[in-house]
Amino acid sequence: MAKSTLAAQSAFTDLKTSKHAALTIEVLDDLTMASIASSKGRAEEVKAAIRAAYGVELPTTPERVTGKGIAFIWHGPDQWMAIADRGAGMRDIEVELKPVLAGIAAVVDQSDGRAVVRLSGPRVRDVLAKGVGIDLDPRAFKSNGVAITHASHIGIVLWQVNDAPAYEIAMFRSFADSFATWLTHSAAEFIGH
Amino acid sequence: MRINCPCCGERGIDEFSYYGDATVTRPDLTSPTAMAEFVAYAFERANIPGPHRELWYHAAGCHLWLVVTRNIATHEILSVESARDVALARNANAKGSA
Repeated sequence: MAKSTLAAQSAFTDLKTSKHAALTIEVLDDLTMASIASSKGRAEEVKAAIRAAYGVELPTTPERVTGKGIAFIWHGPDQWMAIADRGAGMRDIEVELKPVLAGIAAVVDQSDGRAVVRLSGPRVRDVLAKGVGIDLDPRAFKSNGVAITHASHIGIVLWQVNDAPAYEIAMFRSFADSFATWLTHSAAEFIGH
Repeated sequence: MRINCPCCGERGIDEFSYYGDATVTRPDLTSPTAMAEFVAYAFERANIPGPHRELWYHAAGCHLWLVVTRNIATHEILSVESARDVALARNANAKGSA
C-alpha cells in the first residue's frame, strides 16, 4: 500500500471498542492484510515459500496458523488471507509477501478493503448465534477454526482466536456499519444500547 | 436442506446458489446441428423424479462450484463433489475414449 499523509479512518462510523462483563468489542483498525491466491497448480510451491519465510504450514482446511507476528487464514481452496498488526513500524504485508510469492501467487493488499472486529466474553456465542448459522459450540468449532459464511446476510470470514472465547470477524469495509448495526442489536440484551 | 461442502463442511442452503443441470455439456458451436443441440442443452429437461445431478455454487462460503446428486422428490442429498474434479474426470475419460 502506498504511504499516505491522509489520516486513517475506522471503517466503523459508530462502533467503538468497549468492554462489558458479557461481551468485549474491539475494533481492529491498525491491521495490514493481503489476500494470497495460488496460481494454477502452484499451491505446493506457495506452501513451501511460506514455510521457508515464516516457518508455518499454510492450512488446506478452514484453519488459521500464526508465525512471526502474522496470521494466515484459509480463504478457500488454494487461497489465504495474511493479517498482521501494522504497528509503529507501518508493517506492510503486501510489500512483504510479494517477493516471497513472486510468480507463484497473486498477492493483493486488502488492508483498507476489509474491516475487522474482535468479539470476546462469556456471551459472545449467544450474540453471534442470532446472525451466524454455523455451530460455534466448542465441540464443533475450536481455536484457530475458520469459517467463511454470513452474519445477518453480510458475508464474513470468522475465526476463533482463543478459548476465552474470542473471535475475529472480517467483512468488506462497506458492510462495516451494517454489521455494527446488527451486532449492537444482537448484543443489546447483554450490554444495553 | 443442508449441503456438505467438501471445503467448509455442512452448511445451510442459504449459503448456496443453484445453477441447474450438471449432466449437460455445452455443444460444439461449429456443429451443423448446433441450433438443435443448443436448444436441448439450454431448455430440454426430462425432469424425472429421483436422483439428479445438479450444479450448486457456494456463494456465501468458499466459492467452490459443486456437483450435488440430490433426489428431487425427497431432497435427500446422495453425494457432493467438487465440480472441478468432475470436469477433470470427464475430460480425462473423453480423451481416453477418443
